[in-house]
Amino acid sequence: MNCYEHTFISKQDLETKQSQELINKYTDIIKKSSGKVLKTEEWGLRNLSRNIKNNKKGFYFHIKFEGEGKTIEELEKLANIDQTIIRFLTVRVKKHDLETNYFLKKDL
Amino acid sequence: MKKNRKFNKKRKNSNHSRLLLFQKPDMKLLRACPLSGKNAPKVDYKNIKILKKYISDSGRILPSRVTSVSLNKQKQLSRSIKRARLLALL
Repeated sequence: MNCYEHTFISKQDLETKQSQELINKYTDIIKKSSGKVLKTEEWGLRNLSRNIKNNKKGFYFHIKFEGEGKTIEELEKLANIDQTIIRFLTVRVKKHDLETNYFLKKDL
Repeated sequence: MKKNRKFNKKRKNSNHSRLLLFQKPDMKLLRACPLSGKNAPKVDYKNIKILKKYISDSGRILPSRVTSVSLNKQKQLSRSIKRARLLALL
């Protein structure tokens, strides 16, 4: 099992219900494909520093989980198809840092 | 011999002043790496506050000879800056 961090940006026009559905959808995918979710973060609506697919703003979501190569294949395959997601990034880390959150609402 | 000694002394003095003329301010040369050490901040693609210090106004990565970051940390920096760019954080 390796430690991974998955962040993805969704389109601006999301309602509060939909954002929870999105997170639930991807946590389910991780759990189904032999993974284990440790923490989820919502960074909220942020201005993008440059336009991505004609979007100026986006909702940021962050998932920290343990998994294997298969889980990431599954995740990225579905994220590529999903039209509400503009961009995503999965990064492998040696150790999870579960305490610090760099995007608290005070800073925004 | 006496002449030689005098000459040496003079030369030392003059060398010193010359060095001072051409050297950058001592603080910059002797400064230790600000990212390595005990209470140093973590280099991470999520930690935008720190990454913003190490890019120029036009968004390019600053060279380590300007910022005096160690080689190891500079590698981590450049990688995490590129990750942050991909997520449109920088």
